[in-house]
Amino acid sequence: MKLTLRIKNWIERFGVHAALSDEKGQITIIVSEKVSVDGSLVTIDLSENQRNQIEGVLSQNDYIALAPGQLGAIRAPYQLKGSAHLVNGYLEVEIFEIYCTKPGPEAGIRLDVLGYDGMKHFDESRWTDLAPANSN
Amino acid sequence: MAILTNEIKDALKVVGKGGSVVHLATSSVDGKTNIVAERFVTSYLDDYILIADMFAQKTKVNLNENPQAAISIAHPIGERSWVFRGPATVINIGAPSTENWYDVNYGEVLDEWGDWAAKEPPVEVPPDIAPPKVAQRGLIVLKVEEIISSKLQNSGEIL
Repeated sequence: MKLTLRIKNWIERFGVHAALSDEKGQITIIVSEKVSVDGSLVTIDLSENQRNQIEGVLSQNDYIALAPGQLGAIRAPYQLKGSAHLVNGYLEVEIFEIYCTKPGPEAGIRLDVLGYDGMKHFDESRWTDLAPANSN
Repeated sequence: MAILTNEIKDALKVVGKGGSVVHLATSSVDGKTNIVAERFVTSYLDDYILIADMFAQKTKVNLNENPQAAISIAHPIGERSWVFRGPATVINIGAPSTENWYDVNYGEVLDEWGDWAAKEPPVEVPPDIAPPKVAQRGLIVLKVEEIISSKLQNSGEIL
């Protein structure tokens, strides 16, 4: 599912927190501020330590959940879910589920089922900050 | 057992300056993770983190299947780059006050944190983000068993 411009802008500016789980249900979170988005593909730049940290987990389970970091945790309330793979040292995530996590009655709404135009309308009807105000 | 330092407690408590908003991650028993930002958070005793349960639907389903959870600081600044990991549970408002989970007494924490928005109104939250009504259902409690670095250069290191 192609990400909207708002989601792309916010996670490219502020990065993501990524949660993975091994086969025993033990959770690993990594934090990266270097993220790029191309359509439905989110590419996360990892440090060597982060690669080592998740390599074993990914070999057991490629399911991943992403949430925007820093100010995006508040102003960009989305959760992105997909499958992740290490490619040339980067973590590539193909997104197939997108959720609204805005506190309140809209928490948990699944957005990707609206289709791209529906998600775009959802964003534009609720937010005026389609990109972080202090981004270039 | 991991001990929360004063610096960590401060980061979990003070809004801004690299603290207060966290991400809470859980996982279903078949390994599907869920991660959401949480605004009402504090430390409790020396090894617990409390979060208000507002609309934590998937989180609660996951914790019923798999009690393992992890919390990261949403806006890590400098050394304040931690992930806290351990078992977690949900204490619903109205739960028996005499019940305990590890060292946490239900009645004690619900008396203090059961109406979090009244105790600590989220005045800094802009109106376009604030929910129309804050409806707290209970508390999510994490027993911190591991404190892990999330800094790039030593990510994954147990502190």
